[in-house]
Amino acid sequence: MLNSKDKIKILYIDDEPNNLNGFKAAFRFDYTIFIASDIPMAYQHLEAHPDIRVILCDQRMPDKTGVQFFEEVCEKYPNPVRMLITGYADIESVINAVNKGHIFRYIKKPWTDVDIKTSIEEGNKYYITKNELATKNKELEFVNNELSKFTYSITHDMRGPLVSVLGALELAKTMDDLNDLRELLEMMESAVIKLDEYIRNTHEYYKNKKSQIVYEEINFETLVEDLEGLFRINGKMDNVRFDVMVKQAVPFISDKVSINIILNNLLSNAFKYQRKNAADKFVAMAIEVKNNTVVIEIKDNGIGIAASHIDKIFTLFFRATAEEYGSGFGLYNVKDALNKLNGSIEVSSAVNEGTIFTVTIPGKING
Amino acid sequence: MANNKKLNFIVIDDSKLDCFIAEKVIRNTGKCEAIKSFIDARDALVHIGTNPGDDQAHTIILVDIQMPVMNGFEFVEAFEQLPLHITANYSIYIISSSINENDLNKVHNYASVKQFLNKPLTSNSLAILLS
Repeated sequence: MLNSKDKIKILYIDDEPNNLNGFKAAFRFDYTIFIASDIPMAYQHLEAHPDIRVILCDQRMPDKTGVQFFEEVCEKYPNPVRMLITGYADIESVINAVNKGHIFRYIKKPWTDVDIKTSIEEGNKYYITKNELATKNKELEFVNNELSKFTYSITHDMRGPLVSVLGALELAKTMDDLNDLRELLEMMESAVIKLDEYIRNTHEYYKNKKSQIVYEEINFETLVEDLEGLFRINGKMDNVRFDVMVKQAVPFISDKVSINIILNNLLSNAFKYQRKNAADKFVAMAIEVKNNTVVIEIKDNGIGIAASHIDKIFTLFFRATAEEYGSGFGLYNVKDALNKLNGSIEVSSAVNEGTIFTVTIPGKING
Repeated sequence: MANNKKLNFIVIDDSKLDCFIAEKVIRNTGKCEAIKSFIDARDALVHIGTNPGDDQAHTIILVDIQMPVMNGFEFVEAFEQLPLHITANYSIYIISSSINENDLNKVHNYASVKQFLNKPLTSNSLAILLS
């Protein structure tokens, strides 16, 4: 038999108690049945159980007709599939039921069990399809929205550095002083690096979106060493103290690509957004694996994030400062990778004091 | 604008290279009294608010559109809230690498914006602006 939570939820409304009881007796093994002898009671059920999939309603009731009820229900609870039950099938009420009540089925009294069952099964299929469509539409809307953000960002983040270099080249033609030229060349270099960083970030974004999770044992000690090596080569850690503490006594199974994206972005932000003239710049990272969960804390004493910006930092292309170059991808990619691993992130920050990111990621179950 | 009169300039752009290019190009015209560059539009706004200027010293503002924290349009909106005895001494030009139609059309919505200029700023485009 079906588990009660897997059963389709049905609401049946009829002012005759015999009908209600008969209905419940006939179908309670197949469906979860809610019965109501009047409209207010029906609304109570709908309120308490938003996952009711099918509503069956008798046409003739004392305070309202079934069609009138369905007309109202369409507005407030549009999701359930509506079916009208009646013994008096005049053509006028049929027309109203279809046009105004937007009903899925018209069931004649006295009904047979087979009638009801077929109708409910059909209605359920319709319900599922409709809901899947709504979910797909939402996903599409989201993807479309990101696409237009992308198109806009490309004109700025890709064209921007190119146009800068063009302007610099134009200027260089008029310059004779070698020192001035050298200064200009350095700036051109950083514009080109910016463009390259943007392209790498875009690549990471897609890699993260498309890639399947590959489970493997993660050794945080080596992972951090590799990352630290890269940061050192790129000069990202210049003049910043880096304290690392890794507590990992047991194997941890997760997706290395995603973990790398998370650590790389959070650390590179921590190194990048330092206060320029601070004497004791530091980034401290603590990683602890316990109860098949890893908690990663990354703390810095950098510029911090204003309270008014904190809600937006995970939004694609959001940037909170002009001081350092950012593509607006970093934390979005972190959040995306975390969603993939069912992880979560918390942030606390104070301007000119620093920021703490705390990431929690569950390891693969039965890993 | 009289050709012999010296002008002040303010450049607002989050790209340091673009600020540098603008400064050089502006200096090369020989018509420039002073230049100030800001990578954060909010700092520029504070500067303007505390330097009202007078009819002897007109200031040309070149402002980028897409910048973090306060973008070019937000800057123009905030600028337009300043008292007239300040705003009258400044002229705003938007300078951007944007080829987005919305951005280009939006420029017309602001009374204080004189013109839209394409990046990169060249001595040619600046000469046309100043003539």
